[in-house]
Amino acid sequence: MKNIKIYSILFLSLLILGSCTDELDLNPPQDIDNSIALNTDANVKTVLVGAYDALSDTDLFGGNTQRNSELLGADDELQFSGTFGDPSDIWRKEITVINGDVADLWLDGYRTINITNNILAALDVVNEEDRSTVEAEARFIRGMMYFELVLFFGPSYSDGDPATNLGVPLVTEPNDVNPVDRATVSAVYDFVIDDLSFAAANLPADNGVYANSVAAGALLSRVYLQQGDYASARDASDAALTAADGIYDLEGSFDAAFNNQSNGIEDVFSIQVTTQDGANNMQLFFASSSLGGRGDIEIFAKHLNLYEAGDDRGSFFYTDAATGDTRTSKWTDQFANVTFIRLAELYLTRAESNFREGTAVGATPASDLNMIRNRAGLGDITTPTLADILNERKLELAFEGHSIHEIKRLQGSSDGFSYSAPELVFPIPDRERNINPGLQQNDGYGN
Amino acid sequence: MKKALLMSMAVLFTSFAALAQRVVTGTISDEAGSTLPGVNVLVKGSTNGTTTDLDGNFRLSVPENGGTLVFRFIGFESQEVEIGAQSVINVTLSEDVTELSEVVVVGYGTQIKQDLTGNVAQVSGEDIENIPVPSFEQAIQGRTAGVQITSQNGKVGGGINIRVRGASSISASNEPLYVVDGIPITTDNQSLTSAATNPLSDINFNDIASIEILKDASSAAIYGSRGSNGVVLITTKQGKAGKTQFNFNAQFGFSKPTRKRDFINAGQYIELFREAAYNNDLADGFDPINNPDDYAGSWLEYMEGTFDYLSGHVDWREEIANNPNWEGTDWQEEAFQDASVQSYDLSARGGSDNTRFFFSGSVTDQDGILIGNSFQRISGRLNLDHDISEKLTVGVNVGISRSLNNRVTDDNAFSTPLQLIAQAPITPVRDEEGNLYDNTVNPAMFYYPATMEEENSDFTTTVFRNLVNTSATYDVVDGLSITGEYGFDLLTQLEQRYQNSVTEAGLSVGGYGQDRWVRIFNYTSRLYANYSKVFDVHSIDFTLGTEFQKSTRHQTLTAGQGYPLDELKTLSSAAEVADWSGTLNEYSFLSYFGRLNYKLQDKYLLGVSGRMDASSRFGENNRYGFFPAASVGWIISNEGFLGSSDVLSFLKLRASYGLTGNAGIGNYDHFGTYVAAGYNGQSALIPSQIPNPDLEWEKTAQVDIGVDFGLFGDRLSGELDYYKKNTTDLLLNVPVLGTSGFSTQTQNIGELQNSGVEVVLNYDLIKGSAFSWSTSLNYAANQNKVTKLYGDTEQIGPTSSRYMNAIIVGEAIGVHYGVEFAGANPENGDAIFYLNRDPSEEELNDGSAFTVDHLGDRYVTDNYNLAESKVLGNPNPDFIYGWTNNFKFKGFDLSILIQGQEGNKVFLGGGTFMTANARYEDNQTADQLDRWQQPGDITDVPQARLYANNGAQTSSRYLSDASYVRLKTLTFGYNFPRSILGNSFISSARVYFSGQNLITITDYDGWDPEVNTDYLASNIFLGNDFYSAPQAKTFTFGVKLGF
Repeated sequence: MKNIKIYSILFLSLLILGSCTDELDLNPPQDIDNSIALNTDANVKTVLVGAYDALSDTDLFGGNTQRNSELLGADDELQFSGTFGDPSDIWRKEITVINGDVADLWLDGYRTINITNNILAALDVVNEEDRSTVEAEARFIRGMMYFELVLFFGPSYSDGDPATNLGVPLVTEPNDVNPVDRATVSAVYDFVIDDLSFAAANLPADNGVYANSVAAGALLSRVYLQQGDYASARDASDAALTAADGIYDLEGSFDAAFNNQSNGIEDVFSIQVTTQDGANNMQLFFASSSLGGRGDIEIFAKHLNLYEAGDDRGSFFYTDAATGDTRTSKWTDQFANVTFIRLAELYLTRAESNFREGTAVGATPASDLNMIRNRAGLGDITTPTLADILNERKLELAFEGHSIHEIKRLQGSSDGFSYSAPELVFPIPDRERNINPGLQQNDGYGN
Repeated sequence: MKKALLMSMAVLFTSFAALAQRVVTGTISDEAGSTLPGVNVLVKGSTNGTTTDLDGNFRLSVPENGGTLVFRFIGFESQEVEIGAQSVINVTLSEDVTELSEVVVVGYGTQIKQDLTGNVAQVSGEDIENIPVPSFEQAIQGRTAGVQITSQNGKVGGGINIRVRGASSISASNEPLYVVDGIPITTDNQSLTSAATNPLSDINFNDIASIEILKDASSAAIYGSRGSNGVVLITTKQGKAGKTQFNFNAQFGFSKPTRKRDFINAGQYIELFREAAYNNDLADGFDPINNPDDYAGSWLEYMEGTFDYLSGHVDWREEIANNPNWEGTDWQEEAFQDASVQSYDLSARGGSDNTRFFFSGSVTDQDGILIGNSFQRISGRLNLDHDISEKLTVGVNVGISRSLNNRVTDDNAFSTPLQLIAQAPITPVRDEEGNLYDNTVNPAMFYYPATMEEENSDFTTTVFRNLVNTSATYDVVDGLSITGEYGFDLLTQLEQRYQNSVTEAGLSVGGYGQDRWVRIFNYTSRLYANYSKVFDVHSIDFTLGTEFQKSTRHQTLTAGQGYPLDELKTLSSAAEVADWSGTLNEYSFLSYFGRLNYKLQDKYLLGVSGRMDASSRFGENNRYGFFPAASVGWIISNEGFLGSSDVLSFLKLRASYGLTGNAGIGNYDHFGTYVAAGYNGQSALIPSQIPNPDLEWEKTAQVDIGVDFGLFGDRLSGELDYYKKNTTDLLLNVPVLGTSGFSTQTQNIGELQNSGVEVVLNYDLIKGSAFSWSTSLNYAANQNKVTKLYGDTEQIGPTSSRYMNAIIVGEAIGVHYGVEFAGANPENGDAIFYLNRDPSEEELNDGSAFTVDHLGDRYVTDNYNLAESKVLGNPNPDFIYGWTNNFKFKGFDLSILIQGQEGNKVFLGGGTFMTANARYEDNQTADQLDRWQQPGDITDVPQARLYANNGAQTSSRYLSDASYVRLKTLTFGYNFPRSILGNSFISSARVYFSGQNLITITDYDGWDPEVNTDYLASNIFLGNDFYSAPQAKTFTFGVKLGF
């Protein structure tokens, strides 16, 4: 009898402790669970801001991808003299499969893409009136990211057959840990065009510092230029310029277009940097140490000699007092936004594609071209040639991350390497192929 | 009871009637002088006897014609005393040292050592009493087999790593679970910097009665998912009925570094660095010494200009002209301080039949050997238990402490004291006005010096600790008791750091200050029943219970900068907030456990135990885990066929097998999560972790086979064990496809193995009343091997270019893997490395691979990148050992502990600067004077070349054998005899000397071979030295009084 009493006491006590099972469900206080992050309209929109944050990473558009484009496309116009091995290897075209900057572009690129895939999978909780904008912003970011990845990791669209050349894996499902094969270059381009076209069609022209239809159109026109589809490039740039009317404009002077801590009138899309948040790695590598940079990139005379007399842009350089090197004045303020798309680019794109197509959609090539020339303090060219337009484009957009992509689409060369040289294509990072050996490596990097 | 009394009175009466009687009185005490109540006193050969009262006194009528009195008490050796004509017989009983009869604390209960079927190492509190170290792990180093204890460096209050039977994990914790009086305590490092502090140093180990370390699966399985790394059970001293016995101890002493290194002096510095610069000139085609025109613009000119800068107000040219062997500044001396040690301890123990208490108060103040480093602890404890009735006992143990650690910066900071040795010996410490030299404010240095940091900064950690346990035990029926316990460990820590406006950190911001608070409330409640009963030849002991534990950790950090005055040091004086954070971390465990021990005929033992654990740390698919173990034992010596052996007094075979777990991972690793972020001043959320609902604990299956034996009446006893631990489902941060949007995920993958042998031998060599000598030896050899990683991965790392630790399948965790150094090329003084592979045709043709005469036919190269890496050494020792000798002669006692380890290699990361043939301006170790100077020189030190990396790459050049033997502890004491103390209130008095780390014998190239640089130490980064302080050699004198 007594024992029964004891056992019931024991049993009861076990029950009491058993009720502690609730205490086993402890949620992380500094993080929130996946399901919560994407369960309301407000939360999904907060995650969308997170996608911009991911995009703005210094490994990505916070500066390193633009810098890498300039280093690959240096062509003796600049030199990387810093102590960091990874960018130095990129500048010397001696990239290895373990290059950290290459791996970071891959990892952070797909990280950004995954955030957009998560948003796109959760669209149904977004308020109906905002849904298309949220979708368009997410697809803008995803398209922009895939375009950047295919530019670096795939052979140029102008090289061989893009329908058989391999681009990058197209991942569209959120948090997909399964191996995905590389899609062809043209498949990636089609995907990018699809995303950016949706963005261009569904975004407002003015969307604060965030993605807008002008930026989407500008990116789209870059994609078409890479494809050599000048008619589409012309239409996309013209549509963007039309949409830009009354919202964006050229700055009065060339220098005013740069080192702006908040977006200027010419900034169609910039990576936002504040003293609290974000970083400007273009400034970090291009600027002298006295400006808080690393003073790693020196501009050579070969570049400086390209400017005609009186070109404001030709004097937009300074001498680093510590080293005596010449540096560009485009990146001197460490808290300035990282300029990514300026309106000037759209005029130059429209001029080139109109010229190539023999058309004058929106404006004549000469009028677009001369608008840019005049702003730089130069006179008109009444009957410009293609070379005039391309030269203008090169000088206007120098050191803004276009170099290697321009060289490739125009089938040029850099530092003795032809546009189709394997050395100008990034390797698939070793860490990725260690996990998925089926992922095909690019030419020139073993197998 | 009453009946018995009547009976004995009757017997007494009849004896009285029959024989003439007289009365004998006396007091019975133990060797420490405490009186013993309850001792049985009996006239031999009769039933005439009594027991001692609360004060240890007895009074007994004995026959007039004398006889013999027998004194018996559990746990003590019986003693017989001839009565003769004495009327007062005071007896001191000595404790029964027979190991086999000792009571051993196991999880949720105790066992007699003889009946153990698992492997439990035991250290009694007495053995480690008053050892002059801050933390008990340091005191038990070398005292138990298979427990490797390594202090990261000689900073007092710094991190200590313990491995029980090797490391069983790569990513999760390898530290054992610590349980104080039943409460699992917080032992995670709580340091603000990457150098760990030690939460165990909050415990005053003079309060400890015993420490048990559960090593095999059968003993640890009752701790389930936290048993894999062993369990350390700490039991504090309990009250004892009897007259209150006070103990007072005072101890004073000083500490010095165990070892120092030889560095070049100012004269040699100038010689070596001029040579390095000149070598550069010669290589460039200039000869500024023989051709004065070459001097301008030469390296030599540059170096001499550097000397001008480095020598401050001193004229180095004049000094060197006066004395080519100019000593200059010995910077090593500047890093060390005169370190004093003192501690005071007062305890009281006593109680009545139904209320017993132990009380203690203690102050310890210990300077570190490094400037600015000290540790102070004030602690108190009250352990109380009370019998409410015959059936119900309640108890409370309360330990409180405050420890204050004055800290120095991490080993990798310029401002850490030992990095002072990088300063040039030609640089004076201070200028003529008495101001310190540094690298910016009063510049004559290239590196910011610790002297400046020490004078201009504070870095303190204050920890308030409460360890509380309350319990109630109810004896339901004979043999069955139920115990309920609730206890908590409350840790409150404040780290304060202030670096004023002339320090390196504060210079550009006008002073920099940080306050960081951590509070951890870690509570446990449990209920368990114990039933033990002997039926005829069967005896059983059964335990069943449940436990819940939860730990909640709050952390806030605020940092400020811009202080108006260096005197205003609190955060409110800061002009702006520089950094802040606030975090919460929690985990919980819900467990059910049980154990059954069965003994048949005192010969056959069987133990079965197990625990079911659920934890918040694990994924929902694997929340509950079951950890069973079984063990058997056979006491052969109790069998008839061995019963008559004179030699073999005890023999037991035992075997155990079981499963334990390791839950030492992050609290939230299984979640898929988003973390807060921001873009353009707007808050954002980004994914931070990919979910893994399958995440669970690591599993370790361990088999242990052992023999316990006693020879010559147990005068020689020992334990031999062989074990094998296979850990599977290792928790690893596994790289995942980047296309998933993530880079790593914590997964259960990978396997690891530890196997080894342990030997313990105890021998009472001489057991006399005047002189006794006992010795105890323990030895353990553990072999650690990684057997599987994820996918086809065979190797991870080295992940740092400065260190060589790697994880390689088939090798021990953290092996040093890298390029093998071959010394200097006798032809040209270039550093050369073994190729360690066959050279290619091309390499032979272009001369990048070649042989040199004195190295035989092994190919070498002067191109570091061409040399093949290989496993160069193991940071884990082949074996560890400890050897204790205790001598007693009359009132004197001497205890000597020798401890050591063999076969481990340490990488001297600082060598790439200080042993680098004058690469940078860092002062060089004296061995660098053996540099290559002319063709034909055979040496391991390449030619000195300023700013050139001639052999200072990470290689075997900086790998050193860290085997050592150490005179760990020596205690020599004298106990004043009672006759001297007489009838004063003092019942015992002892004076003693106690020394720690007195002699260290090693071939190690660095300071002290017991090292693992604090800023880096981890499961994988093992055996590294980076300007790490040597251990302290401590000499103390003390007095201990009992009254």
